[in-house]
Amino acid sequence: MESLTLAAPGGELSIWALFWQAGWVVKLVMIGLLAASIWSWAIIIDKLIAYARMRAALNRFEQIFWSGQSLEELYRTLSDRKTTGMGSIFVAAMREWKKSFEKGARSPIGLQTRIDKAMDLALTREMERLEGRLGFLASIGSSAPFIGLFGTVVGIMTSFQAIAGSKSTNLAVVAPGIAEALLATAIGLLAAIPAVIAYNKLSSDAGKLGLRMEGFADEFSAILSRQIDEKVAGKA
Amino acid sequence: MKTGLIASATLHAALIGFGLFSLSAPRAYEVADIEALPVDIVPVESITQIQEGDKKAPAAEKPAPTPTKRPDPVENAAKVGDNDVDLKPPPTPEAKPKPVETASTPPPSEKPAPKPAERPEPEPQEAKAEPVPVPATEVTPEPQPKQEVEPDPAAETIVAEDAEAESVKLPKTAPVPQARPQPPKAQTAKAPERKKAEEPARKQAAARPESEKKDDLLDDVAALLNKQKASGGGAKRSTEEAALGGERTTSGEKLSQSEMDALRGQIQRCWNVPAGALDAENLKVSVQFKLDPSGAVQGAPQIIAGGSGSTVERAAAESARRAILQCAPYNLPTEKYDAWADVIVHFDPSDMF
Repeated sequence: MESLTLAAPGGELSIWALFWQAGWVVKLVMIGLLAASIWSWAIIIDKLIAYARMRAALNRFEQIFWSGQSLEELYRTLSDRKTTGMGSIFVAAMREWKKSFEKGARSPIGLQTRIDKAMDLALTREMERLEGRLGFLASIGSSAPFIGLFGTVVGIMTSFQAIAGSKSTNLAVVAPGIAEALLATAIGLLAAIPAVIAYNKLSSDAGKLGLRMEGFADEFSAILSRQIDEKVAGKA
Repeated sequence: MKTGLIASATLHAALIGFGLFSLSAPRAYEVADIEALPVDIVPVESITQIQEGDKKAPAAEKPAPTPTKRPDPVENAAKVGDNDVDLKPPPTPEAKPKPVETASTPPPSEKPAPKPAERPEPEPQEAKAEPVPVPATEVTPEPQPKQEVEPDPAAETIVAEDAEAESVKLPKTAPVPQARPQPPKAQTAKAPERKKAEEPARKQAAARPESEKKDDLLDDVAALLNKQKASGGGAKRSTEEAALGGERTTSGEKLSQSEMDALRGQIQRCWNVPAGALDAENLKVSVQFKLDPSGAVQGAPQIIAGGSGSTVERAAAESARRAILQCAPYNLPTEKYDAWADVIVHFDPSDMF
């Protein structure tokens, strides 16, 4: 018997139709992955904006700091304002300095240690703010493919069960279920790839900013230590 | 954080919206259509299946043979020579002469001229016609066939004639020395023929009761005595205008190509080809089934080839059997029921992949 190649039974194969044909587990996986993707993109956008702002703030502060303005004056303008980055480190150090001198510092070594501690704390708080939520990107980047794969495996499982029920192994019967199951992996990868790339870029950016702030803190600590020595020498 | 979330949500919404409109169903693969060639197979049925008619007449809706002619009751005058009176032409010698009749009946015309010419002719004709094959058998030394032939009353006359011919011809043929290898051949060819013709009749006669035997014998005798030659018969009466057609109506016994295609298509629609099999060559299945005149399947389809061995092959056979049963009432021309009462279908999935 000659054989005609018969066309596949016309089933809707658009992405939307595939989503609606899927079982509830696969649907849940897809919705979860979509939400994760939305959230990770929100973090990416937010962090990009925040880092750009931070970079700009650092540049501005460095410009002002090294312009030769007196530190007292700078502290006065910054202390009643909400500060970020180097500004908050500077304010924390100056506050400690002021407190110690208003009450009359006994030991210059103890003052130095306190100022360093205050600056470290401010730096840590700033770094926390910079790096917060990057962990979510990392976990999405590593787990989203697995979640998608889980959806695919479940989808293929159910589609094979359906094939066994229909007692037909025609490719036209097999294909739609597998295509629908693979959609879950596709969404998983769609969420994971940007998350991984963004995580790598953002964490390196945050590291650079942190280094810059650390450098400033060290420098400012050196300046203050010189000042303390001068004051101690003056007193004596 | 809020700006990021809003931006991300709108981005995703836009992407999904774009995907819904532009990434709709992917285009189905172009599948090469096997029957797309514009070749028309002219079925042999259009030639063999001819309605009775006239070959040169124009085609008409209703087939009709050439109208027959009534014989003219008045004989045509045949004028021969310078006579003023109509005379029949002299009888042609090809008319079959029966020695008894010619002797008893008076001459057809008063003219005595043809008589002498006619009489001497038939005898030599007979003598010449008969002896040619006979001498070969008679020359053989084996007397057996002769003995068996003798009891038959019809054959007796022939034998008698043969004997006459033999007596005349024998001396002529015998001295030829080159004819030697021939006798055994002629003997083997001739003797069994006679035996064959008579033996079954004899056997039948022996098996039947006496009265029937007698009747049969009488029938045989009558059939043998009937010297009338079989004639071609008359014409089929027709008064209508001749239409295009052949000399006879030949009802096509075979299904035409298009009818076979229709049957094939009906079965194929229900055939779920076993997919995913590694060696599709071995999945050829032949299924035989019977149909009743309404086109329904009678009994269970028999798998006559393939379908044994591996599970895949059995699955293929089952799918073929299912296809036949599923599409059951087949729409086929009733007048050719004989052709499709018993159908064998070969399922071959090797082309499907």
